[in-house]
Amino acid sequence: MTKKDVSWKVQKMMELLPPKLSRQVVLSLVSCVHCGMCNEACHYVKSIPDDPKMTPSYKADQLRKIFKANHDWTGRVAPKWVGAKTPITEEDLEELKDIAFGTCTNCRRCTYNCPMGVDTATVNRVMRGLLTRVGVMPEGVWAVSKDSWEIGNQMGVLMEDYQETLEWISEELVDELGDEKAAIPIDKKNANIVYTVNPREVKYDPRTITNAAMIFYAAGEDWTMPSFGWDQTNFGLFSGDDVMGGNIYKHLEEKFKELSGNLLVISECGHGYRSTRCEGPNWSATPQDFRMESSVTTMLRYIKEGKIKVDKTKNTEKVTFHDSCNNARSCGLYEEPRELLELVTTDFQEMYPNRQENYCCTGGGGAMSMAEYTPRRLKSGKIKAEQLAATGAKIVVTSCHNCVDGLGDLIKHYKLDMEVKQLVDLVAEALVMEKPAEVPEEKPAEAATLAGYKILVVDDEPDMRTFLSTVFEDNGASVIEAADGEQALTLAKSEKPSLVTLDLSMPGKDGGEVYASIRQDPQLAKLPVCIVTGRPELRKLIYDRDVPRPEGYLDKPVSEKDILVNARKILDLSE
Amino acid sequence: MEGNLLHTAEVVHWAALAFMGVVYTIRLIWLLKFKAGGDKQLPGDQGRTDLGPAMYSMANVVMPWAMESTRKGMFFYLTFALFHLGVTVGIFLAIFSSLLPTFFADQNVAYAIMAILGLAGLVGFGRILRRLVRPVMRLISTPDDYFSVTILTVWMFIGVACQAHLAGLVNNTNYLIAYLFATSFFLVYVPFSKISHYLYYPFIRYYIGKTLGHRGSVLPQKG
Repeated sequence: MTKKDVSWKVQKMMELLPPKLSRQVVLSLVSCVHCGMCNEACHYVKSIPDDPKMTPSYKADQLRKIFKANHDWTGRVAPKWVGAKTPITEEDLEELKDIAFGTCTNCRRCTYNCPMGVDTATVNRVMRGLLTRVGVMPEGVWAVSKDSWEIGNQMGVLMEDYQETLEWISEELVDELGDEKAAIPIDKKNANIVYTVNPREVKYDPRTITNAAMIFYAAGEDWTMPSFGWDQTNFGLFSGDDVMGGNIYKHLEEKFKELSGNLLVISECGHGYRSTRCEGPNWSATPQDFRMESSVTTMLRYIKEGKIKVDKTKNTEKVTFHDSCNNARSCGLYEEPRELLELVTTDFQEMYPNRQENYCCTGGGGAMSMAEYTPRRLKSGKIKAEQLAATGAKIVVTSCHNCVDGLGDLIKHYKLDMEVKQLVDLVAEALVMEKPAEVPEEKPAEAATLAGYKILVVDDEPDMRTFLSTVFEDNGASVIEAADGEQALTLAKSEKPSLVTLDLSMPGKDGGEVYASIRQDPQLAKLPVCIVTGRPELRKLIYDRDVPRPEGYLDKPVSEKDILVNARKILDLSE
Repeated sequence: MEGNLLHTAEVVHWAALAFMGVVYTIRLIWLLKFKAGGDKQLPGDQGRTDLGPAMYSMANVVMPWAMESTRKGMFFYLTFALFHLGVTVGIFLAIFSSLLPTFFADQNVAYAIMAILGLAGLVGFGRILRRLVRPVMRLISTPDDYFSVTILTVWMFIGVACQAHLAGLVNNTNYLIAYLFATSFFLVYVPFSKISHYLYYPFIRYYIGKTLGHRGSVLPQKG
């Protein structure tokens, strides 16, 4: 084998490896005795026991082999004897990609169960980082990383959209609370708290921002949200790219310092909390010289200090708590959320195992953005689904957006009778306003504008499906969901929906093919379709075809208002 | 003839021990050349910057209740403890057999050592079978993994015979010679094999305890 035969990507990876070899990483690479104790700790193994490749040590061995072959004398002298091997071709790298991204969520449960203390999650992250730097990564990770670099947040939310969303939330809050002071201050200098969020909140779940704003208002807090550097999440954590991780952390740090804030508060997001609070300073090699905390800690402090009053009898349903891997195992946030739950709910049931031994929601490690691994991810959630079902709770609470999506998917897939909520929702529900706000009268006519209609939502992104379904359901429609093209066509025939919202970029049969199939099928040809795509360049998938045009077309990100106006227009409903 | 061979075995055995020491020293220097990563973030709300979490982490080996994997696999943990006790006793026997002959001649001591080595050898045998039979173990095992546990198992059984000879239960110097040569081979091989994990244990445990302790995530399990 000559150097010429080795893929340039592999050669580049070998060049990139040495700087990543800290003493801690090297120790994790040389200390594994292949005892198999980690096996039973992994949710992939627990849920897919017939596949030995799910075992954590096998996953870590992929980097271990490379390290031994290139940096350890035992591997250089007798490579086969100690299992040393360097990948050669790009196919080898693809295989490594599937292992590093598709069979591990870096949840660190195995680390806590290794007698030696081998940190398999860190080893796997190093492998991801090497692959990412040579362009070998799932498409979703690539897209998210690109948005992070180019737009400054992982979901590509434009500054105008972000500000528009905050303005809209502010208007609603001012209306609801009858006080101009309830508006969200943006870029306010010298505020006590600078509040950062996950773009998922801006794009799909603005209610969590509304709830947080209401809590800040009730506490009389001097706070602000930054116009840039507001995305606390950081795909550097998942892609293993420390350079990107450091840069994104810097956005927050620099903006926080520019605003001269006193305390950076990180909204409920495990990935965001870990990236910002626990890893950012290390990735950017800048010692942390300002205070940060999770909003869970902030809310708990408000209650303890009497800044806000809560009435726990407003949350009487049985709740359980899911520990986010990043919050708990990697950042030590175990007790604060439990303490808070005890204060705002009447029936809290611990799930078992819990805290550092809790199982992953399956959505960690960036898994929600890797659609190609969804079937395996859902399969790996069997143990989590059993754990959830055993609690008998109606609500599973978590402090992480990935967990919200991951658990939401499992609840649907395993048909569990429960819903996912975050602590901010429960605190807001339990909040007792000192000055009771005038609650606007309900408008049943408006709330049920889509009553009687059945809408098929087709999108491979679980976040998007959840968002659209929630909007439609809140407006009275019944919703069915499809995650891919095949499923969409089957459901369109069997369920006979009144309207289809169709994503274009999906694995397998893309939206263009699905659209053409609908139009060419005499049974479905008249079915109204609204295209909802995040990739306008894919328009040609529709417009290049010799079929009638769709009834509606929307570019992502879509607002609640846009989607409703379009749906009503297509269904020919008067405003 | 036996006297000369025994003398040679003893000399080789000490030389092997010295060799292992030199290789381990080199290995540690190599390891310490890799720069340790440090925490630039402030400690977590429940975090600690003292040596407590690192010490807690290092004591993990004697706290089977601290990990789910050992708590739920108590039999496996006990066999692990027995196997490692066997290794310790076997090394003690190899090093001190010529220095403390009267100690090893004591019948009670002899039976205790033989029992420990014998049972540890049986555990070793069980570990070989486990590695051969379970698909997941076959997948992750290297030739070194099989060989390391095999030579330790064989070495322990030879140790039983050697101890029986030292206590006068059997009269065959070849057992002692074989044991010393087996130990010598073992000592020379160890630094190149996975058996070296005990050298790394304090380091890896120190760092993982320190890192997670700084964040406040190393805690005794509740609930």
